[in-house]
Amino acid sequence: MKFLGVLMLAVASLSAQHADPDIAAGEAAANQFISNPEAIEAGGELYRLVCSGCHGVTGEGGRGPNLLTARNIHRLGDQRLFAVIKKGIPGSDMPPSPFEDEKVWQITAFVRNLSAPALRQNVAGDPEAGKALFYGKAGCTNCHMIRGSGGFIGPDFTNLGANQNYAQIREGLLDVNKRFTMGFDPVVVTLADGKRIEGVAKNYSNYRLQLLDRDGRLHLLDRAKVGLEFKDESLMPADYADRLSEDEIQNLLAFLSRQSLRAPGHQDDSE
Amino acid sequence: MISRLLLAASAILITLPLAAQVRHEDILAAPNEDWLTFTGDYAANRHSPLKQITPENVGDLVPKWVYQVPGATSLSTYPLVYDGVMYVTNANEVHALDALSGRKIWAYTHPDVELQRKNRGAAILGDRIYFVTSDCRLVALNRLTGGAIFEEPYAEVENGYHCTVAPVAIKDRIIVGVSGGDSGIRGFLAAHSAESGKQLWKLWTIPGAGEFGADTWGPKTLPWGGAGTWMPGSYDPELNWLIWPTGNPWPDFYGGDRPGDNLYTDSLIAVDLETGEMQWYFQFTPHDVWDWDGQEPPLLLDLEIDGKERKVVVQANRNGFYYVLDRTTGEFLRGKPFVDKLTWASGLDENGRPILIEGMAPSAEGTLVCPTVWGAANWMADSYSPVTGLHYVMTMEACDIFTSSSEEPEPKIGFAGTGGERQPRLDGQFVIRAIRPETGKRVWEYGLTGPTRSWAGLVSTAGGVVFSGDDDHQLLALDAKTGEYLWHFNLGQTIDASPITWARDGNQYVTIVARTAVFTFGLFETTADH
Repeated sequence: MKFLGVLMLAVASLSAQHADPDIAAGEAAANQFISNPEAIEAGGELYRLVCSGCHGVTGEGGRGPNLLTARNIHRLGDQRLFAVIKKGIPGSDMPPSPFEDEKVWQITAFVRNLSAPALRQNVAGDPEAGKALFYGKAGCTNCHMIRGSGGFIGPDFTNLGANQNYAQIREGLLDVNKRFTMGFDPVVVTLADGKRIEGVAKNYSNYRLQLLDRDGRLHLLDRAKVGLEFKDESLMPADYADRLSEDEIQNLLAFLSRQSLRAPGHQDDSE
Repeated sequence: MISRLLLAASAILITLPLAAQVRHEDILAAPNEDWLTFTGDYAANRHSPLKQITPENVGDLVPKWVYQVPGATSLSTYPLVYDGVMYVTNANEVHALDALSGRKIWAYTHPDVELQRKNRGAAILGDRIYFVTSDCRLVALNRLTGGAIFEEPYAEVENGYHCTVAPVAIKDRIIVGVSGGDSGIRGFLAAHSAESGKQLWKLWTIPGAGEFGADTWGPKTLPWGGAGTWMPGSYDPELNWLIWPTGNPWPDFYGGDRPGDNLYTDSLIAVDLETGEMQWYFQFTPHDVWDWDGQEPPLLLDLEIDGKERKVVVQANRNGFYYVLDRTTGEFLRGKPFVDKLTWASGLDENGRPILIEGMAPSAEGTLVCPTVWGAANWMADSYSPVTGLHYVMTMEACDIFTSSSEEPEPKIGFAGTGGERQPRLDGQFVIRAIRPETGKRVWEYGLTGPTRSWAGLVSTAGGVVFSGDDDHQLLALDAKTGEYLWHFNLGQTIDASPITWARDGNQYVTIVARTAVFTFGLFETTADH
């Protein structure tokens, strides 16, 4: 509860700083540093020096908010994020920065990159090796599709790297029951003749169920005519940390992070 | 080893097309229980063979469900229905619905598109749904998951284009067109591979310098003369030709900078599906200065004309004349007015060219001309019933004061050379008309109340009912033979689309999209019926 209070205060303080003239002066700086790989790397070193004590070494949070997932931080413009890092948040535990503007911009670039779409994060690992895992040993295409190729009952990954950041993709792979995605509730249906169908509920109400099974058959069913059981565990295997080595996991994440419908140069990743 | 075998087995499983696939032959046979293409069938007849709903029982129609499309304000889409699933589009979005309940199965929003324009619908082929984004990308989705398969940009916003067309899937290809003709574009029609999205051919609808037809323009307007291709056309499988409509010349209301007929605007063009080569063209309104796109549906019919069986294409054109052409040659066979308010031409000559009335061009001070800018007909769906032999058309009886300006035309910025406005207190009226295409004779008509601000059209059924949106928020049922009023339902919002009809588990349904939502109707069933 105390953490929530700090967070809310932080949000209010962020809003209050909107009119700061320093912010207006920072547009050129934002263009220079944000998404700049050298600035991100330099910012990472500074971040680990002064920020990681509260926000975690990888931005996962602790005494301070999780920088990977906090939406109020993601929503900040670059200049406002810079101002928060430079001046701190009065009345909270967030202190002003001890650095000159250039270094604050480097930290800003690093923090921004933490929550940027994975496609822009240059995720470490060998994407080609990850691709081989995805279409081979890891069995991902039993359930997931990329560009129309693969299974039906998991979320589509064609644009994954553009839609999610690295932390979200990693969590999806290794902490499978933490978040359920709407439209992918695992269910078992028993028909009047006793036949059982396993799949995911794309949607359901008290009266109707739209179930997609592993073979890509869509079952549009009256609830009154079928038995319906929701399963507690995700259909996503929970043992990838055991089945794959650290390197393999990183390679798989490198491949997944580069999946984009649009980005030039990644068109052929799934071919 | 066991796990490897299992993986190998599952790998085989996922390559098999287990879910039902829509084939070209299925679209050729449509509509039936399914509605598989924008116009219902390739001939744009928009007639359903379904018979459960009749003039006798249509009064028992009740609403079955409503699907509110999140954030929608101006839906203009004709849904598709296949295998119990309905596909509805909005700008840059597709929604897949359980057709019996209106419950969402999936919704897809194309990423990173700022432009929001109307979208008229999707195409279906194989296990894919195709649609175009407002910024002119052809997108393919898996029809079961809503996952993207490809996007293929085919026109550039910076060159004045935007896109609203419902693609048409034919054989192995997807046909797309462009909008933006009121702003100065070079119109074109294109075919893309259904498999990869790659462009197979592109046919310009405005000639290039030195090409045939270039001398029908002036140097200021060539090649920016418009001729958009924003509505789906028809397809003749025997000829293997597309019969496609084109839009207005630009600047819309001032012709001084474009002396000549302005090919190939306001036309029908016949185009070889394989090669993209133009076979013939017929221009309805040469040197148009009233914005009368030729985008009304081109219906392909086989009719007896003067004692001879003819393969024809008929169109109730925006300019107020009803045309019958030989679709194998483009030859003009006959034409006559289908509205009473028509003041710009006294008739058509033996080649179908309008005989102009002096003083009807837009002017700086304003010229009163009938029909209006919206036209005597427009993109709203028509329908032809082979049962009654009647062509049902949403017509408009109204006039506008047209103004023009000789301001220097600048393409791609929305400059149209001014426009048309309704006379104060004289809105006019939409009238549903049944026309016998062999003669152009009006057999019956049904006038509508309303502000003449709707884009609602029609569908006819073998059950003998014509369903239509009206100009006053209502879905309407008329007797196909007589035009007698049968039933209506107030949707509470403007209708900018046309109804479809389909069936599932032996029951017939009618679906229409209004500005914010999808409405589906079926016959009343008692609890015992369930």
